[in-house]
Amino acid sequence: MASIELKNVSYIYGENTPFEKKALDNINVRFESGRISGLIGHTGSGKSTLVQLLNGLLKPCSGSILIDGRDIWEFPKKIRDIRFRVGLVFQYPEYQLFEESVYKDIAFGPVNMGLDKDEIDRRVRDAIVFCGLSDDLLKKSPFELSGGQKRRVAIAGIIAMEPEVLILDEPAAGLDPMGREEILGGVWSYQRRNNSTVILVSHSMEDMARYSDNIVVMSDSRIYMTGACSEIFKHADKLVSVGLDVPQITRLIHILIKRGIDIRDDIFTIEAAKDEIMKLIRQKQKGGFPEC
Amino acid sequence: MLKDITLGQFFPGDSILHKLDPRTKIILTLLYITSIFLATSVSGYIYIMLYTGLLVFISRIPIKIIVKGLRPLIVIIAFTAIINILWTKGEVLMVDFYFINIYLEGIMYALLMIIRITSLLAGTSVILTYTTSPIALTDGLERLLAPLKSIHLPVHEFAMMMTIALRFIPTLIEETDKIMNAQKARGADFSTGSLTKRAKALIPILIPLFISAFRRADELSTAMECRCYRGGDNRTRMTVLRMRPADFITIALLAMSCIITILLNINFPIYKI
Ligand SMILES: Nc1ncnc2c1ncn2[C@@H]1O[C@H](COP(=O)(O)OP(=O)(O)OP(=O)(O)O)[C@@H](O)[C@H]1O
Ligand SMILES: [Mg+2]
Repeated sequence: MASIELKNVSYIYGENTPFEKKALDNINVRFESGRISGLIGHTGSGKSTLVQLLNGLLKPCSGSILIDGRDIWEFPKKIRDIRFRVGLVFQYPEYQLFEESVYKDIAFGPVNMGLDKDEIDRRVRDAIVFCGLSDDLLKKSPFELSGGQKRRVAIAGIIAMEPEVLILDEPAAGLDPMGREEILGGVWSYQRRNNSTVILVSHSMEDMARYSDNIVVMSDSRIYMTGACSEIFKHADKLVSVGLDVPQITRLIHILIKRGIDIRDDIFTIEAAKDEIMKLIRQKQKGGFPEC
Repeated sequence: MLKDITLGQFFPGDSILHKLDPRTKIILTLLYITSIFLATSVSGYIYIMLYTGLLVFISRIPIKIIVKGLRPLIVIIAFTAIINILWTKGEVLMVDFYFINIYLEGIMYALLMIIRITSLLAGTSVILTYTTSPIALTDGLERLLAPLKSIHLPVHEFAMMMTIALRFIPTLIEETDKIMNAQKARGADFSTGSLTKRAKALIPILIPLFISAFRRADELSTAMECRCYRGGDNRTRMTVLRMRPADFITIALLAMSCIITILLNINFPIYKI
């Protein structure tokens, strides 16, 4: 699908006022197509600002944003089309619901796109499947739903636009483990099925390790590191120095390595750790492995 | 952006004006406005200009900020000035150009009008809005109006409502901004189309905004109840307002100013209007 790239992008809030605040400083980064890219960084590092630049809600003060090599601000009047191509789910999206039924709310985006009725119907029904909602919710008022369900309806509202690039700003914030799993799992299967480009902002290293292919680390308005998950989580000390961390399981593995156990250092999910540790135990049972 | 709107425009600082009791400043504002409307002679106007300048000086608010505050009213000021120049009839004809007759009186009148409006704005804003935080202002208002409680006006409740409203204005503006962005991300369009279309486009903003405002109000009232808030009776305050000698002195000075303006009108009516 589409790749999205920032070139020398800077953004300043309240430019030329006494309240100037530099939120992005000369950002150069590329989000590969057909991948889930994780975006992490401490509070106030500029993640939300960056994602709002990607769909043209904010205009960069300098630099350019390219989708498949074309500047999104090439035709400022057509910026709405960019917003349909780059779907952005805001932090706490449940507060944007307004329609009288879940169906109508999810259809808001597709209706704005000017699609015909059958197509809208198909998209709404597809979207709720990915978000794990059942058909009979469609007639309900969105305000009758639980918090987690509302969140999923809001995400479905963006997915129904079938954007080439899907961006989610902390989609799982404030949910229980079940809810996190359902939402992120839904996004994951959506991405795998459509091979779309997904950017996932999160504070949870575990979620990042689990669901993302690449990771972009931000710190103090700049890009700090980019790379595959395994690359990034190798540098635990670097991450800690910018107020982040590695998944807990990776920390455990690092402790094991320090104690002299010969184990791979690029493990960051519990499943992988389990496999690796089981392998070690089996080796040990066969003999020839030193006591620790 | 919506956020650029400044409200209350309080400008923190530690000048004499900042330190005065808010009640004093409300009284000063009333006295100041009175003195401006008392001035009817050129000497009176000059006097007002001088002491407005003095007020601005002691408030230590940068002139730039005050000029910026006046900017939105330039159109109104210019409009009144032009009307005054063109329509005032007098004795000394300055310009006689077809149907345009401009008299000296008109020009003078327009000038004095400009002085009056700009002084009024600059003076009241340095006495009150720029140097008093909105919260202190409602506090002062509550205390000044306290006597009205005896005729069963809910003064405390009004003050509390005002405080809460002021507190939540920035929050609501931020919220509106967020909701607008979220709907724009779904392709909502607020700036094109016919009037009815644009009015309809507001629904996706207003409904979430109302819901969140009600939710906030609900949460706030629960939180207040949890802390045993039960209205104004027998409520003590964390910061008790106290009038100090400086407060009485400034009130006396400004009252004197009013009298001086009247005296100037009578004794030096260089150019009486
Ligand atoms: N509307 C705004 N006006 C002024 N400054 C802003 C605005 N939004 C964000 N900022 C500032 O820009 C910087 C980056 O904010 P941003 O919201 O992008 O951070 P973030 O990485 O998303 O943080 P978080 O993890 O808390 O969501 C912050 O210092 C913030 O104070
Ligand atoms: Mg954020």
